[in-house]
Amino acid sequence: MSIIYVLIPLAILLVAVAVMVFFWAVKSGQFDDLERHGSSILFDEDDTPSQSKRKPNDDGPRD
Amino acid sequence: MTQCYHCHEPVAQQNQYTAEVLGQSRAMCCPGCQAVAQSIVDNGLEDYYRFRTAPAETPSEQQSLLDTLRLYDSPELQQELVADEGNSKQIQLTLEGIKCAACAWLIEKQLLKLDGIIQVAVNVSAHRATVRWQADKLKLSALLQQFERIGYHAQPFQPEVHEQEYQQVGRSFLKKLGLAGLMSMQVMMIAVALYFGLLGNLDEDTRHFLHWVSLVLTTPVVAYSGIDFYHSAWRAMRARSVNMDVPVSLAILILFSASALATLTQQGEVFFESVCMFIFLLLISRYLEHRARHKASEMSANITQFIPVAATVIDDGEHRQCLARSLTQGQKVLVKAGETIPVDGRIIDGNSYIDESMLSGEFEPVHKSTGDVVYGGSQNQYGALVIEVSRPLKQALISQIMALQDKALASKPKVALMVDRLARHFVTVVLITALLTFVGWQWAGHPDALWFAVSVLVATCPCALALATPSALTAAMGALNQRGILLKRSDLLEGVIGVQKVAFDKTGTLTEGHFRLADIHTAPGYDAAKLKSVAASLEAFSEHPIARAFAGLPRVQAERVEVHPGMGLSGWVEGQFYRLGAPRFMRHTINSPLKDCHILVEDEHQVLGGFVLEDPLRKEAAAVVAALPCDSLIISGDHAKHVAKVAQQLNIQQYFSQCTPEQKLQQLKQLQEQSKVMMIGDGINDSPVLAAADISVAVGGASDLAKNAADVILVGRSLTALPDLLELARRCRNKIRQNIAWALGYNLLAMPLAVAGILTPWMGVIGMSASSIIVVVNSVRLLTGDSTR
Repeated sequence: MSIIYVLIPLAILLVAVAVMVFFWAVKSGQFDDLERHGSSILFDEDDTPSQSKRKPNDDGPRD
Repeated sequence: MTQCYHCHEPVAQQNQYTAEVLGQSRAMCCPGCQAVAQSIVDNGLEDYYRFRTAPAETPSEQQSLLDTLRLYDSPELQQELVADEGNSKQIQLTLEGIKCAACAWLIEKQLLKLDGIIQVAVNVSAHRATVRWQADKLKLSALLQQFERIGYHAQPFQPEVHEQEYQQVGRSFLKKLGLAGLMSMQVMMIAVALYFGLLGNLDEDTRHFLHWVSLVLTTPVVAYSGIDFYHSAWRAMRARSVNMDVPVSLAILILFSASALATLTQQGEVFFESVCMFIFLLLISRYLEHRARHKASEMSANITQFIPVAATVIDDGEHRQCLARSLTQGQKVLVKAGETIPVDGRIIDGNSYIDESMLSGEFEPVHKSTGDVVYGGSQNQYGALVIEVSRPLKQALISQIMALQDKALASKPKVALMVDRLARHFVTVVLITALLTFVGWQWAGHPDALWFAVSVLVATCPCALALATPSALTAAMGALNQRGILLKRSDLLEGVIGVQKVAFDKTGTLTEGHFRLADIHTAPGYDAAKLKSVAASLEAFSEHPIARAFAGLPRVQAERVEVHPGMGLSGWVEGQFYRLGAPRFMRHTINSPLKDCHILVEDEHQVLGGFVLEDPLRKEAAAVVAALPCDSLIISGDHAKHVAKVAQQLNIQQYFSQCTPEQKLQQLKQLQEQSKVMMIGDGINDSPVLAAADISVAVGGASDLAKNAADVILVGRSLTALPDLLELARRCRNKIRQNIAWALGYNLLAMPLAVAGILTPWMGVIGMSASSIIVVVNSVRLLTGDSTR
C-alpha cells in the first residue's frame, strides 16, 4: 500500500499541471468561440500548395 | 421558383445571372451574388459551399460604399479604433452576414491572401473578427474592401466597457469551473476509496493520508472556485437580507471547516467530495446562464452602426474629414447620398429623401429641403446636402433616445426570486435546528454532538433547493435557444408567466416593414402587364423604397429618365414618354377607380393606371395573435388608418396610433398600472418602450438598439416563436415548483432523522446528492420538449 504515498502526490502534480494548462488556454481565448472549431476540421488547412492553382474546370476526376 | 445558390433568395429571371460552383452552373439572383460566388470560386474556396450550414447574406449594391470605407484611412479615426503594436496594427471588426463556420473559414482564407495581413481570427458566435496587419503595406480601407468582395460587411468598432467586463467574467467563470471539475474528479476518486474502506479494512494511517490529500485538493476549490458565492452572500448580509448564496456559502464553509477540523484532529468524518461537487454543480448552472446573457449582449452590440463615426466638414470651401463627435454647433457638414447624417442640424443647401426609419420606425422616407431639420443617425438617400450643425453629437436625438432607454432600464423592477424568499426562511430554520441539535446532544452528554449537528447541515444542505430554480431556468433557456429565442436574463421567464397584455408595434413587427404591390388599376383598354413593365423600367432608376416594390418585375430599357424628388419619375420607355409618381405629380385628371392608388402612371394624353401599395402583414401574424393566451393590442407611430386596418385584420380590439417614442412610453405606463405588459417591437423608436415594459421582445431583423433594450430576442424573422415562449415559461414554472416541492420534501424528511442522530453524515451526503440529481434530471426534461407538456 505504501506505493500510494508516491503515486497520489504524483497524481496531484499532474492535475496541477492540467489546471495550469487549462488556465493558459482560457486566458489565450481558446474557449471564446466554441461554435467555430467544431467544424474547422472539415476544411483544408494546407492551403499553400493546393490553393495556388486549382482549376474549376479541370478534366481530371473530381472528388 | 428557383433559389439563388448563394443566398437562397428567389430568382426572378432564370439564366440571367449564373456562376459555376462545384462543377455545375448555378442560378444567382443578382449581379452581387454572382460576383461574390465567382470571387469565391476563383480563389479556390469552393469548400465554403460544400460545408456551409446556412445560406449567405445577399450582398448589397451600395455604390458609395468605397467612399465610406476610405474614411477609415484617416489617421484621426484610426487613432480611436486601431491598436498600435510597434510595426503592426490591430483592429476589432463587427461582421454582418456571418452565419456559420464556413463563413469564418472563407473570410480567413480570403484575407490572408492580402499582402501585409499577419493574423485573422474570426469569432462566429460573436460575429467579430480581430485582424492584425502591417500598416505600411496595407490600407485599412483595402482590408475592409476585401470583406465586401466575398459578401460580408465589416465595420470597425470598440467593444463597450460592460461587454469587455462580460468577457472577463466569463473567463474567470470558466477557470473556476475547470478547477472545480478537475479537483472534484480527484476528490471523488479518493472518496470512493474511503467509502470502500468503511466496508473493508483500510488502515488508519492510509485513511488519514487520504483525508489530507482530499484537504489539499479541496482547498483551492473552496478558496478560488467558490469565491463568488461568498461575495454575493456577504453583499446580501450587509444589506440586511438573505439570498440563496447565504445558505450555499454557509454549507460550503461549515462543511469544509468541519472536514478540515476532522482531518487535523484525526477524528470524525470528512465530506470534501460533497463540498467539491456542490461548488461544481452550482458553477455549471451559473456559467451557462452567464454565457446565454453574454451571447445576447454581443449580438446586440453594434449600435455604433447608427452613430456615424466620421463626417466631412466644409472649412472655407475646403473639405476635411473629422470625427463626428468633435463637431460643434455652427459648423457646416457635407453629407453625400447614401451616407448617414452625422449630427442633428439644419439643411442649408440641397434637398433629398431622408430615411428616418431608425428613429420613427416608419419606413417611408421623408422629403426634406433647405431649412428643414435633420437628425443624426438617419440616412441621406438621394442628393448631397450641406448641413449646419445645431447640436453636438452628445445632445443629438439618437443619443437622447439611448439615454431615455437607459433611464427606463434603470427603473425596471427586479423580478424577486421566489426561491430567495423561501431561502430566507429556510436558512434560518436550518441554522436554528443545527444549533439546537448540537446544544441538545451536548447537554445530553453525547460525544458525537457536533457530528449530529453537521449531519443536520449536510442532510438539509440547500443544494437541491439551490439547484431547483437555476437548473430549470437553464434547461428552459436551452430549449428556447433551440427554437430561436434568446433570453437575456434567465429570471425573466418568471416574468413572462404573469403577462396579461401583449403590445405589438405595427411596422416591421406585425407587418413585413416594406412595400409590396397590392393592386393594379388600369384605364379602360390599357394592359396591366404593360403598365407593370413601364413602371418597373422607370423605377429601376430610383433609390426610393417604393421602387423596391417593383424590383422583381420584368423590365425593358428606359431612357432619359429624370428623378423629381418628392414627386416621381419621368422618362422614355420604348419610344413613349411616361410620368410616374404621386397623384399630385399627374398633369391629367384622375378618374374614380384610380383615386385610391398611391402611384400613378400617365403618358402625354391621359392617366393610364395606378398601383396600390401596402405593407403586407407577416404571414404568421394572425395565427400568432390568435394563439396568444392573453389580450393583444397595438402601439404604433403610423397613421390611424393603417393601424386600424391591421388591427381589424388581426382581430385586435385596442390600438394606439401616431405615437412618438415619448407617447408610446406614456401609453405603456398607463397600461402597466392595470396589468403586466409584454411589448414586442423592432425600431430604435421602440427601444425606450421595450426597456420599460415588464417583458420586452425584439423580433428578428430588429434594429440593434431595440435588441439591446429587449429582454428577449427572437432570432428568426418569424413571430411563431412567441407562443412557444409563453408555453415554455409556463412549463418552466411548473418544473420549478416540482423541484422545490421535492427538495423541501426531502429536506423536511431528512431533518428529523438527522436531529435524532439516526442519519449519519455519509448517508446525508448520499441523500443530498440523490435529491440534487433528481432535481437536475427533472429540469433537463424541459429540453427534450416532451409532448405531454
